[in-house]
Amino acid sequence: MTGVVVADSVTKRYGEVLGLNGFSANFPEGITGLVGPNGAGKSTLFRLLAGQLKVDSGRLTILGEPAWGQGEFRRRIGYCPEPPSLFDWMTGNDFVTTLLRLDGFSREEAAARSARAMAEVALTGDGNRRLRVYSKGMRQRVKFAQCIAHDPELVLLDEPLNGVDPVGRASLSVLMKQFSAAGRHLIVSSHVLYEVERLTDQIVMIANGQAIAQGDLHRIRDLIDSRPHVIDLETPDPRLVGRFLGAWDHVVSVEFPEPGRLRVKTRSPDAFYAALPGLVVTEGLTVRSVRSADDNLDAVFRYLSEGRR
Amino acid sequence: MSISAPRYVRAPVAHLGRTFRDLAVLQREFLRRSTAGPLAVIALAFLSVVITVTFTVDFAALTGTSVMGAFESPYRSVFWTLLMLIVTAMVGSGSLADDIGSRSITLYLSRPIHLTDYLFAKAAATGSWILIAAAGPGCVAAGLTAALGMVSASTALTAVGAYLAVGLVTAVYFTGISLAFSSLTRRSLYAGVAIFGSVLSVAASSEVVSGIVGNTNVLYADPNTCLNSIAQASFGLPAPYPIDPATSLVVMVLVGILLGMLAWWRLSRIEVVGE
Repeated sequence: MTGVVVADSVTKRYGEVLGLNGFSANFPEGITGLVGPNGAGKSTLFRLLAGQLKVDSGRLTILGEPAWGQGEFRRRIGYCPEPPSLFDWMTGNDFVTTLLRLDGFSREEAAARSARAMAEVALTGDGNRRLRVYSKGMRQRVKFAQCIAHDPELVLLDEPLNGVDPVGRASLSVLMKQFSAAGRHLIVSSHVLYEVERLTDQIVMIANGQAIAQGDLHRIRDLIDSRPHVIDLETPDPRLVGRFLGAWDHVVSVEFPEPGRLRVKTRSPDAFYAALPGLVVTEGLTVRSVRSADDNLDAVFRYLSEGRR
Repeated sequence: MSISAPRYVRAPVAHLGRTFRDLAVLQREFLRRSTAGPLAVIALAFLSVVITVTFTVDFAALTGTSVMGAFESPYRSVFWTLLMLIVTAMVGSGSLADDIGSRSITLYLSRPIHLTDYLFAKAAATGSWILIAAAGPGCVAAGLTAALGMVSASTALTAVGAYLAVGLVTAVYFTGISLAFSSLTRRSLYAGVAIFGSVLSVAASSEVVSGIVGNTNVLYADPNTCLNSIAQASFGLPAPYPIDPATSLVVMVLVGILLGMLAWWRLSRIEVVGE
């Protein structure tokens, strides 16, 4: 397997607790979303990639190098941890400059790069304020600044949009896309699926320390075709429409959640969408709207994680 | 003549070496501790030692007693050890605990810097503060007495050398203690209390046990007695010493290094972070 990050049966324990349980995934170039609920193992994977935890078994490589250790290749990686993890007594500029100096930049080069990175995250005006007075959103932005300031090839962002206001989210998302467009790679973790959906179609889904699905979002959607797909229809006569639809082989159930609405579960959404217009025309039915109730990543994730239980 | 489009190539950035990166950590840690509390305690150390030594040296010069004994006088007081403990607790208790507690250590170690380098830089920063507090006041006092004509320049220089020697031993010992306790907790307050409690209890109990069993070897566990012996020998004062200065020197340096290694072991065990 090739990729910016390759995990092969990676297991990490915290005593009796399994952080990762035979996690295998291949993170390709560009932006990849690491999606999973809290406690799924996202931060554990990031700490392993940041060289701060050591795998108990399995193989984990980052940019072709073993993930464990603090070797010189760390310069090629930017890491934005999820916890606040800031030196509160420093100013924003000092914070970024200090971390750049740990990469081996001269004082002058570090200061110049720090200024550029702070400007990119729109914190130039707050650069001389101490980090302890920064809001959560500003903290996320300054953390992002420190992880891109040394121009790394790969950036690991652990819940980067957590706590950021909508405007900040939008600007950070734009920054991430720009960073990727410049030929860099990002792995972005989140437990809020729509955040990742806005950034990329490439996702790795994680639950209970295992990769439950990976690849193009649309391919992952194909994986769920064997499970009932929920479709809501708005119609003035739900019972009539429901009687016809209930006769189809691939329809698992028909429900009437509220007046004027029909909920259908089907094992074959493609067949359903193909046959529905013909039914409406031939039987003279009125259907005002058709909406897939699980068109978003949350539903995909629920299907996949439930399938593993 | 031909015209071609210019090619722009990003100039490769020259990365500085490991020593420079260690210095960056050292500098940050050193500056971080330059807050009002430690500075006030160190100022108190300077003030009290300079005044005491100056008057003691003046008195010794007038009465014809040992001037070097006067220079050595601060080490005879338990107040000296207490002062060093306060400085150690203030500048060293948070050196690792603060980074572990806030998990900002993850940011340090996500860079191309080794755990050993990180720990060495932290030790150097803490040790520098302790050295300033331990040797600085004596050196200033020696300079002042020479400037006031109380002692010759060569005597003052000898005293400075002795202060630096004892200061270095003090710095190694107390730095090791602060690193060890700071690595064991996420709260600098706990580390500070542990530094105080352990050193004072070991010092007091070794005095008591030594008296009960009648064996002075137990006093090698007491940093106050050890420092006193080393100081007497460093300032060229004649025997008898409370305990053997050479053995005291070995014990203090060894304890400092071993405790530093304990801190390294501890940090490597916790793999930097944990929930």
